[in-house]
Amino acid sequence: MAAIHEFWRIVVGILHELSDQTAYRRHLAAHGVAASGPEWRRFSEERLQQKYKRARCC
Amino acid sequence: MSKSVGTFVWICVAALGAFCLGGIALHRGESISSAWLVLAAVCTYLSAYRLYAAFIAAKVMALDNTRATPAERLRNGHDFEPTNKWIVFGHHFAAIAGPGPLVGPTLAAQFGYLPGTLWIIIGVVLGGAVQDFVILFCSVRRDGKSLGQMAREEIGKIGGGTALLTVLLIMVILLAVIGLVVVNALKGSPWGTFTIAATMPIAVLMGLYLRYWRPGRVLEISVIGFLLLVASIFCGEWVAQHAVFGPMFTLTGMALAIALIIYGFLASALPVWLLLAPRDYLSTFVKLGVVMMLGAGILLVRPELHMPALTRFVDGTGPIFAGTIFPFCFITIACGAISGFHALISSGTTPKMIASEGHILPVGYGSMLLESFVAMMAMVAACSLEPGIFFAVNSPAGIVGATPAAATATITAWGFPVTPQQMADLARHVGEESLFYRTGGAPSLALGMASIFSRIAGNEAVLRFWYHFAIMFEALFILTVIDAGTRVGRFMLQDFLGHIWKPLGRTSWMPGVLLTSALVVCAWGYFLVQGVLDPLGGINSLWPLFGIANQLLAAVALCVATTILIKMHRLRYAWITLLPLSWLVVVTYTAAWQKIFSDAPRVGFLAQASALEAGFQSAATRQLIFNNRLDAVLCGIFVVLVTTILADSIRIWLGILNGTRSAANRETPFVLTQLRPEEL
Repeated sequence: MAAIHEFWRIVVGILHELSDQTAYRRHLAAHGVAASGPEWRRFSEERLQQKYKRARCC
Repeated sequence: MSKSVGTFVWICVAALGAFCLGGIALHRGESISSAWLVLAAVCTYLSAYRLYAAFIAAKVMALDNTRATPAERLRNGHDFEPTNKWIVFGHHFAAIAGPGPLVGPTLAAQFGYLPGTLWIIIGVVLGGAVQDFVILFCSVRRDGKSLGQMAREEIGKIGGGTALLTVLLIMVILLAVIGLVVVNALKGSPWGTFTIAATMPIAVLMGLYLRYWRPGRVLEISVIGFLLLVASIFCGEWVAQHAVFGPMFTLTGMALAIALIIYGFLASALPVWLLLAPRDYLSTFVKLGVVMMLGAGILLVRPELHMPALTRFVDGTGPIFAGTIFPFCFITIACGAISGFHALISSGTTPKMIASEGHILPVGYGSMLLESFVAMMAMVAACSLEPGIFFAVNSPAGIVGATPAAATATITAWGFPVTPQQMADLARHVGEESLFYRTGGAPSLALGMASIFSRIAGNEAVLRFWYHFAIMFEALFILTVIDAGTRVGRFMLQDFLGHIWKPLGRTSWMPGVLLTSALVVCAWGYFLVQGVLDPLGGINSLWPLFGIANQLLAAVALCVATTILIKMHRLRYAWITLLPLSWLVVVTYTAAWQKIFSDAPRVGFLAQASALEAGFQSAATRQLIFNNRLDAVLCGIFVVLVTTILADSIRIWLGILNGTRSAANRETPFVLTQLRPEEL
């Protein structure tokens, strides 16, 4: 049961990482602000600019 | 478990792997179960990870868990962040898994299942996984620096600049060839075209939802987006049969190519949150889900492989692409065995997330083994089709004949029986007008996947759904690579042009953005149109060009890795990178030589141009002659660029060995980690 729980935790962790939701939480914590529309827009613009400057794999 | 029991278990795993490899290598005649391939691959991967990768980690790199990684030292809450190793593993795998490991093995199946399978298994263990592992390690020890930066610092300015130019040129060919795969999958297919067209408004809806309605809820909107995608597949059947909409979505190859070029331009110039990013989220989740489904499907169904171990096309007369097993099998399958592009990912985001040096082994070596397994699944899916059907779908009209009767007669005469009726029935079952001349690998892979999925969930009645689901999955993430790749190409070009005229380098200056987007789109669009017009199907010339370029990039990465190993005073272990480097140099230089200078018109670009010149010359023929010469020049440029880096690297290696050059490398000094075990 513990192994299944751990596996599920990792799957959810990967999904949150891939969806940038973990990065958003880190951003909120680092800046000491609460989640809001303007804050998400600020975060995503900065993050996506960086993300799409890097080469993509074939 | 005691040490002796552990040793016994590993001996059993290795013996089982060797037995299965021997089985698939020696089996001839009747069809063989895919379980042999899967077991051979899994046992070899496990043994390699336990023995070879562990040896590299301990003896060559001397991974040190007490050493603070850049994720810890430079932690900033953005890109530098120590992350759980399995999450980094998933993130890294999602980044390296593109269309390459699916398309390459499908195309290489024309040689039979054996050559491609052996190359996928041996290539990844000794080449691809080693490259990813060593480059990730080098980047972690250098504050997460990119391959270009490491090439500049460790080899020199020429090496660094050449590496960047090589990447830009490879991107152009990559985008063209995968664009061609999508075009050939969707031409004359209103169902598929509608489904893919629907992904664009779905992505825009997701973008607006994320930005204005429910900011930050990426997973929530991705689930909604996925449900809408599935709904669009069901609607696609209705659209295809509709008297007005059906013809509207029935497009020729050229119309699709133009649509793709316009799409690429818009995706590069529009705000990234509106189209590109939401598509990327959706595509990533669909990609991971389908890869897992395919893995489970193959394990449950264990389809028979109908393709022989070796086909008659090992002599180089293959209809999909011309050329003998050596060197063309090894450049056709890149991403499942060794891919230069992975070095860019291993020196991109991933090194900034590694919490402990011990994690470099599972993330760098382990993810590449999983990617190789994806390639193996693609090989299984393609080879599970009847060979006659496989060749009828993948052969261009210029080779097999322009009518179904002519095509099936040619393919049957090769020893792979297939009838027009069989092809018509199959097309009807999957909801298509015709499945002939769909070069590029995507439709045959979709047929293989649909057959596996329909045997688990449903029966032949749902084959059409699964076929279009598979086409949607392939096209969705190929288009995501195209739009993101165009944007990356635009940034690289702006970076370069900014040195000539500053405003062109500003990413906020709209005329500069539009101009550079147009230049990048025109560059890959030109090669895409060239592929569409090519009577030999385009894949015959573009895929080998891409394969050569990609493997040459891997050679660049291995030059950097070898230089760093020598500077680390690990000369006695430099063979771990020199071995795959030497192989790649031999393979790519031979392939490039043959593609440029071979006398056979289907192989050599210049021979093809001469053959066309000797015949009747229309405007279209003159264009084909020019295109072949252009391809030859581009191939030559790739070789010159990589020779420059190779020569520069050898000069540095010899200098260090002679004592005339300093062996100082740019590794960051040791800092003791402060992370607690529970933080890893």
